[in-house]
This record gives sequence, structure tokens and C-alpha cells, in this order.
Amino acid sequence: MLGLGGLMMTGAPNRFCRELIRAGRTDLELVVMTGGMNVDWLVAAGAVRRVLTAIVSFEGYGLAPNFRRAVERGEIAVEDWSELTMLSAWRAATMGVPFMPTRAALGTDIAAGLPERMWTSTDERSGQTFTACAPLAPDVSVIHVHEADVLGNARVDPKLTWIDGELAKASRRVIVTAERIVDTDIFRAAPERTAIPGYAVDHVVHAPRGAWPSAMMPDYQHDAGFYRSYVAAAKDPGAFGALFRTLVA
Amino acid sequence: MSAHTVAELMVARLAREFTDGTRAFNGAASFIPVAAFMLARATHAPGLTWCSGSIGVDAHPEAISASTIAAEMWEGATMLQSSPHDSWPYAGFGRLDTFCFRGVQIDPFGNVNNTIIGSHSAPRVRLPGGGGMADLGCLLPNVYLWSTTHDARTFVERLDHRSSMGWGDGGDHRERLGLPGGPRLCVTNLAVLDFHPESHRMRLQSVHPGVTVDDVTAATGFDLVIDGDVGETDPPTVEEVDLIRRLDPTSMRDLG
Repeated sequence: MLGLGGLMMTGAPNRFCRELIRAGRTDLELVVMTGGMNVDWLVAAGAVRRVLTAIVSFEGYGLAPNFRRAVERGEIAVEDWSELTMLSAWRAATMGVPFMPTRAALGTDIAAGLPERMWTSTDERSGQTFTACAPLAPDVSVIHVHEADVLGNARVDPKLTWIDGELAKASRRVIVTAERIVDTDIFRAAPERTAIPGYAVDHVVHAPRGAWPSAMMPDYQHDAGFYRSYVAAAKDPGAFGALFRTLVA
Repeated sequence: MSAHTVAELMVARLAREFTDGTRAFNGAASFIPVAAFMLARATHAPGLTWCSGSIGVDAHPEAISASTIAAEMWEGATMLQSSPHDSWPYAGFGRLDTFCFRGVQIDPFGNVNNTIIGSHSAPRVRLPGGGGMADLGCLLPNVYLWSTTHDARTFVERLDHRSSMGWGDGGDHRERLGLPGGPRLCVTNLAVLDFHPESHRMRLQSVHPGVTVDDVTAATGFDLVIDGDVGETDPPTVEEVDLIRRLDPTSMRDLG
């Protein structure tokens, strides 16, 4: 089970995903709470068996075309989580408890669709109804950051991790890909800005422009032209294959 | 060029719901709500709190960008909330209280589907997924819905998948589950709808200029509550239109 960080069109570990495709990996089970191009690329390459997600979005650029097609053809399985049920399942895993209760997803179809993952229950003492989320811990997760050192200390600039920090906590192993590898003294000079502690990181990879075409501000915005041409090309297998081979993997 | 577009009318109408006491945040591809929060703050509700993209507290971006969860949208923020665990718990005592959803399907009780058309075993259209809808729909007392496609495919009696909880099965369903508030209003390209105070079924509040009640009922795949006179939606003022165009110079609002 492979976790991928990022927040849709921001900070996704996309260069790592391209390398996964080049390495010919298949049969992946992805945990991507807030996905986008990362999921669509891996699905386009036939690398994915199942996606656990709350959302796979290109925002205003349209639906993620390969993800959409593969689901509609039954080629991949999707587990439809919400963000807080997944966060709760991660927390159950880190705290070593059989489930984490939350009010999230009550009254929706989410729990009924994932009976192995969560269920609706009523507390005997208070009488309150809640969603119980069973533990979920990715075997390994990949998180893209602005700066890392050789010890694995990682930070983003400005300090934004959103789900990435939570994903790091919940994963058995963590790979950090970084725009820049910097000296540990940089971290010591401003330790309050460190987002993930070095002791929690197993591997550090230097990956300049590693979030492209998602954004890594203030270094670069999302690549609007790429999103547009990607969505347009996906309508034609020949055009899409050419674009994918040239620009992605 | 006409005095205002439908998207501008929707922004202005939604903005009028928000006050100095509103504590709002937003999700992805939420151009009309973000424009409405910014417009309300620039006009009648200067004290409104808005966490841009759920992350940038009291942000003052120059213009609405192609993503509503993007660093350029939290310029000028007083804090960057760096995890859902840093911000969503503030909903617990209502210190954050307002969010807007749109849906590919919306039902009479303001429940929303953004997950799948068809069924999981035989999907016809795979949609992005609900994101945090299922969470915020339960946690927040003030949910607003918007739709730029008011038609019988969007407004359906029964959802193919309930991605977020609105008024549920209607009546006191939310109360029975211990959930606060519920959907307040739904602003579409044709009309403004609220919810009957007891049944919590969608009720026609006003139709936009040039739209008739019959147009709206014909475009809705379920029976709307209609009690009393249905008014006409107030169009945006010249000042509001001017502000919207300055806040959103690239017309991202036309994407909804």
C-alpha cells in the first residue's frame, strides 16, 4: 500500500510517480487522500490495482481522464473515503486502537460502501452515533517538500503540509523527495519550520521540480498549459500516447 | 455586454447570506463561493472570517486563481493552518461554521453526490469524489449549495451516491444523528432555493430575472415546495458587479 502526499494541484510527489512508471511497477494499491495528476498518470500507465481516496481532482480543468475511464471500464477498484474518515483511520493506526470514532460521514453512503474499513455504531454510555474507522497505515509513503537534509529533516516553504504531515505519521516507511538538499545547519537555524523530523524519514531523494505539473509555491505555480493539453490529448489515444511518452514517462 | 452575468448574480446573492459573524472556509474548484466570501468582506461584512483553501486565515489574495486551494490564494494570511487537525477541530464549537458545496447531483433534502453516476458495480460516470464533503456536511451548521447546471439531471429525487449529508432523509434526521444545523440555501443559475423549516425539503425562494417559476419546476427532477409568492432574485448592484470583476479578473467564476 503506497501513500502519496500532495493536495490535488499542489505539492504532489509527481516526479517520483514518473520514476515508478519508468520502473515498470504494476499492481499498486494507492492511498491518496487528495489526488490529481499523480493518480491519473499511474492509472494511465497501468500501474494501479486499487485507489483509496477522498478526491481525485483537476479542479477547473475537467475530470481526471484516465482515472475516470479506468473506473468506468472496471479496470481499477476505488475505495471512496472522505478526508476525515481517512485521517481518523490513520490516527487509529498510529495510536494502536481498533478504531477511531468520528462524526464524519454520518448519514452518507461512505461507511456502507467500505464495510471492512468503517462502520456506524452507537456509544452505549452517551447514546451518540458515530462512524468507527479501522486502522489504516500505508506501507510506504512519498512526500514532496522544498528542502531536506541528509538526516531526512524536511520542510516546506511557506510551512504547508496539510495532509502530508499526517500521512508521514501514519506510514510505516517515509520517502521524502525534495526540491533542494540543504545543510542541517539550515534546519538548526529555524527548527520551528521543520515539518517532518529526520528520525521519521527513511529515504531522501533530490527531485528538482518534483511536484510538476502541480504547484510548489513560491518556486512554481501549477502548469496550466500542461493540464489543458493533457486533458485535451486524453480524448485521442494516439495524441495522448505521444504526449505521455514525451513529457511524462 | 449585459449589466451582469448569471455567475455574477450568483456570487452577489450568495454574498448577501454572509455576515460579520460568518466563519467560512472553502474547498477545491469553489470559484463562486470564494468570490462571494471576498465580495461580502469587501462590502457589507468587513468582519467576515475566511480561511482561504481551508489553509490561509484571513487571506487577501490579489485575484482569484485557477485553483481555489493554492498558495497565491493565501497571500496576506495571518496564519497558514498546516493540517486539517489544525483547523477542522475549530468547527467543534462553531468557531468555523460555513462552507459551500456543489454537486453533480443534488436531492430534495440538499444531500449531494460528487462521487459516481450509476453504481459502483456499473459506473456510468466516475466523478472526482466527495473530498471533505462527508465530513464538513456533518460538522458544520451552515452549508450552502450552488449549481450552475439547474436541470433535471442535476436536481434528482434520488442520488446515485450520497457523498455528503444535507438534511438526510428530511425532518429531524440530522438532529437524530446529533448533527448541527444543515444546508441553508441553494443558489443556482435559475433560482434561489431554501429548505422548508420542518420537512427540510427544498423550497423555491426566488427566481432570477427573466426566469419563470414554471422554468424552474420543469428543470427540477423532483417536486419543489412552493408556498406563497415566489419573488424575483435581487440582481447585483453596479458596485457589486464592478467589485466581482476586480476580484476575479479572469472570470474563474464562469467555471462555477
